[in-house]
Amino acid sequence: MLWAALLLPPGPDGAPPSDEALRGVATWALQFTPRVATSEEAVLLELEASARLFGGKRALRDRILQEGADQGVSALAWATNSLAAHLLARAGIENGFKRPLEELLDALPMRALTAVAPHEGILSRLGCRTLGDVRRLPRGGVSRRFDKLLLGALDRAYGLQPEAHVWVDLPETFDARLELMSRVEMAPALLFGARRLLLQMCGWLAARHSGTTAFTLKWAHDVMRSKEAGQGGEITIRTAEPSRNLEHLCRLLAEHLAKTELKAPVGELWLHATEVVSLDEKSASLLPDEAQQGESLQLVLERIAARLGPDRVLRPVLTEDHRLEWMQMWQPVPMPRPRKAAEPINMPQPTWVLPTPLKLATRGHRPLYQGVLHLLTGPHRVEGGWWHRLGEGCDATTGHVQRDYWVALSEHAGVLWIYQERLASEETAWYLHGVFA
Amino acid sequence: MSAVLSWAGDDDGLPTQALVHPSRSRARRSQPGELPPEIEQAIWRGCDLGAQAGEVVSSGFAALDAELPGGGWPCQSIAEVLSPQPSVLEWRVIGPALRAIVAAGRKVVVVGPPKTPHLPGLRHSGIDEKHLVWVRADTPAERLWCTEQLVKSGACGALVAWLPQARPEQIRRLQVCAQACEGPVFLFRPAAAQHEASAASLRVMATFALDWEIQVHVLKRRGPTHEGLVRLRSVPGGLEAVLTPRLQMPSRLIATREGAPRDGTHYAPARPTLSEGAARPEVHEAAVHALGGATPSARARRRATVR
Repeated sequence: MLWAALLLPPGPDGAPPSDEALRGVATWALQFTPRVATSEEAVLLELEASARLFGGKRALRDRILQEGADQGVSALAWATNSLAAHLLARAGIENGFKRPLEELLDALPMRALTAVAPHEGILSRLGCRTLGDVRRLPRGGVSRRFDKLLLGALDRAYGLQPEAHVWVDLPETFDARLELMSRVEMAPALLFGARRLLLQMCGWLAARHSGTTAFTLKWAHDVMRSKEAGQGGEITIRTAEPSRNLEHLCRLLAEHLAKTELKAPVGELWLHATEVVSLDEKSASLLPDEAQQGESLQLVLERIAARLGPDRVLRPVLTEDHRLEWMQMWQPVPMPRPRKAAEPINMPQPTWVLPTPLKLATRGHRPLYQGVLHLLTGPHRVEGGWWHRLGEGCDATTGHVQRDYWVALSEHAGVLWIYQERLASEETAWYLHGVFA
Repeated sequence: MSAVLSWAGDDDGLPTQALVHPSRSRARRSQPGELPPEIEQAIWRGCDLGAQAGEVVSSGFAALDAELPGGGWPCQSIAEVLSPQPSVLEWRVIGPALRAIVAAGRKVVVVGPPKTPHLPGLRHSGIDEKHLVWVRADTPAERLWCTEQLVKSGACGALVAWLPQARPEQIRRLQVCAQACEGPVFLFRPAAAQHEASAASLRVMATFALDWEIQVHVLKRRGPTHEGLVRLRSVPGGLEAVLTPRLQMPSRLIATREGAPRDGTHYAPARPTLSEGAARPEVHEAAVHALGGATPSARARRRATVR
């Protein structure tokens, strides 16, 4: 049996850690093993069966130590039973396998064991200092003089009696609360506290074999706030594909918090997993496959969209139109593509278009753009669009065009796609609309 | 060190040669001042092209591949393409390379282009709607940040970015990040940047020529300096299908026009096809038909515009 005891620090006034904090750490720990219990100020984990899944005992210990530190765990100890691990954690000894357990436990001060506390006065007057001293007292006398709990606890710590635990259940929904150490006035600084909650959420998601597509961070303003500030605020962050990658969720949250303004100092945080969907894990393969080293393109684009705005990361969709302006549209990447793809056009088309056609000056009826343009081939007539209404109300126009497109050549600006508006003779004009680049 | 590397990279040429001439090498060993062939093989000379450390993507032009170290655009590194004007020849230079990348099912991400990319035209260089992403980053800081994020992730098939204002230290930072990137990274920059130092392992200057050509001069590469220009024929946007024999050499066409200047009325909208329209109507008609069905016949058009 491989037991780990994670000790939570006491509150500022010496009070034991709250149930909420214990439950938070236990929820996070459920990703490693289903056998998680809480006892006094410690969270106890039985990890014998999980060591191989997490890459061996050394890797598992490193991970628990590192993530546990982020969770505020103050001490960690390993032993063959939970009570011994708990006692060693209190004494600050991490490895309970270094020497025989009796030897390690005998050297601990006797008040490390909670069951000793009611009888500490008598035991110290008997000359006991360490657990070893208590253990060496005659058993019959101890069981008559003191209560049954002391002997039972001693036997369990030394592995002579089996232990019974009440396992922590995995909650159905994730909702965690965190009181911040100090009032936070800037939104990006909330990330420090939110990261701890996100770590718990990722543990909870891993235990449920799920990923989240939306989560909500709420904050409550401090009581000393102005009237118009309100109770607090919240942001909901959505991702395109379900994820429980802590780093990605943290970065997304950081991008959103960077744009948030707090109206008053914040004292408390809540994190709620709004949408949870099951996530298929990739199985670890024996053969090295084409592993993605960095993050996937989807995640990067999501992060860029979070900073620049969703309408700035675009992908094209072809539409069935012969007018250049409406031949393609650009839509945000996460939006679904239309089910029916448009027929591709196989005629020559420029590779760049100008957002609005540029009216060209003319010299003697020849269009000018960085010098005189030489018309190479054309015309390619594009007409129609009277059915296409643009705008609303009285200033509505139609997208009607009457154009003759030409391929023009400029010595400096390359091969251009220009058109002549076919209107009455005075109103004709040349426009630059695209570049064959 | 580099000699050993280039030897190791050249895996098929060397052993056969070593096997073919063992006797001659023994014969030559006696002559002073000359090296045995197997040692000579292992020596990297300054006039040889260096080997590219990572993979390369063929540029699609045989003449250009011959001048690029490793025979193509480098992956895991930055390739700077300088041009006097933006949005004149970008897709013509890298289009053939992108075709191969898109055909392999990887995505092309475009950061901060100077104009709107037009997909119907890009389809002619093999880019389809599923494999193109446009990041509309406007300010220099945004462009740089997006480029760095995309380079660091290494997840895009090819990254094409316009960074006209990037400073040398920023390029160096990108170059270091790019070593983890699988696809090629193209940075388009103005021609003035050629006077700045750059950490990019490959820099080329691309200019546009009239006769359906682009001219590429390699400014920096692993290997000897490149002299002269590589002339590459490239017809953009599917125009190949509508080029008549006369239009194959537009420079000659322009020279004849410039040589025999006419009065301005010749270029009136009624007759915008210039001299060849009147002299060789069949050439012009062929062009019109090839351009598509929406155009009326040449005679009808003439009648319509005379009104």
